[in-house]
Amino acid sequence: MTGLAIKPALVGGTDEQTLITRVLDGDRGAARTLYEAHVHRVHRLVFRLCGDEELTHDLTQDVFIRAFDQLSRFRGEAAFSTWIHRIAVSVTLNGLRKVRRLRTRELSLEGASHVPDETSAPSDPELKERLTRAIEALPPGARASVILHDIEGYTHVEISAMLGIAVGTSKARLFDARVKLRQALADYARE
Amino acid sequence: MTDEKLQELLQEASRSWRVPPEPRVGEMWESIEAAHFDRPRQRLTPRWWVLVSAVAAALVFGVAIGRFSAVDRAAQPQIAVSRAGFQEPYGRQTTELLGQTAVLLAALPREGSEGAGQTRFAAQAEQLLVTTRLLLDSPVASDPRLRVLLEDLELVLAQVAQLPAASRRNAAELEIINEALEERDVVPRIRTAVASLSGDD
Repeated sequence: MTGLAIKPALVGGTDEQTLITRVLDGDRGAARTLYEAHVHRVHRLVFRLCGDEELTHDLTQDVFIRAFDQLSRFRGEAAFSTWIHRIAVSVTLNGLRKVRRLRTRELSLEGASHVPDETSAPSDPELKERLTRAIEALPPGARASVILHDIEGYTHVEISAMLGIAVGTSKARLFDARVKLRQALADYARE
Repeated sequence: MTDEKLQELLQEASRSWRVPPEPRVGEMWESIEAAHFDRPRQRLTPRWWVLVSAVAAALVFGVAIGRFSAVDRAAQPQIAVSRAGFQEPYGRQTTELLGQTAVLLAALPREGSEGAGQTRFAAQAEQLLVTTRLLLDSPVASDPRLRVLLEDLELVLAQVAQLPAASRRNAAELEIINEALEERDVVPRIRTAVASLSGDD
């Protein structure tokens, strides 16, 4: 889990700030070390947000290219992981917007909340599928809040840093998202 | 659906939902290395004469404002700390930028408009983008909240600046920009920052 506490992280026995300085001096080995320290977490976060393997592959590359291009602006007030996860969320949400325009296939909450067969209780896989569709139907900001907080386990402070919003906004978005999810799954309330 | 049941489902989802495949670490690295280290360096900073003009304008503006406000300032208690980390001209320049950007974004149409309008918005956005990037490399960026806001502005202004080039997809591009503004609460954050900076005066 990422943290906002500023403490010198060690990557492969080297202080992360030293690695960053070396990357800024053009050291490819240091860049590779920094990349390998964070790529799995970034890849996982991007995949959770977009759910498509090939898109995740492309977006993860974009995240690191952008991070290395902007590395001189990293001033170390927050952890490097927080900084790069913020870039990951930003790149992924922008990427998803573009992809959505191309594919024009956005699911609606109405589509997710169909009335199930009254005679039989829904099976767990069916409920999970409904939850997946309901999450995908959320507005991008609300979807990011649910995925980051409830599924990935980030705190509101971390999410606010990643999305560039106030902590209160993050909490409000999560509350709204949960209301929408409960509405989308309301017909299972009698379970 | 009760809160407890939803919580239970989400907890289960954290273990089983969208379990990521193993990343192709080496393959991705080759692309990243080629893009970052091997390509000709992309011009991320404005041309020198634009840079010099902007710095000169910022200094002249800052000195002028400083002279006008010097007398009153001496009598006022220093109550805020948010701008203490950077010098006065930068604070003024930031307030100016935020104000002008808020006006531009508020005037941005929700739907596609024709040629001259797009070009005007794009030209304004380009100017503001130059100032935003200068401020990102200035002491202003040492304030984490301002830096995050400026980074978001950089992204949005870059999109607006490219509107004419993307004229065929203009409506879609505008929608993307407007969604980004809404999703990241950009305009309310500008207002808050301006209020905060003004409160320091």
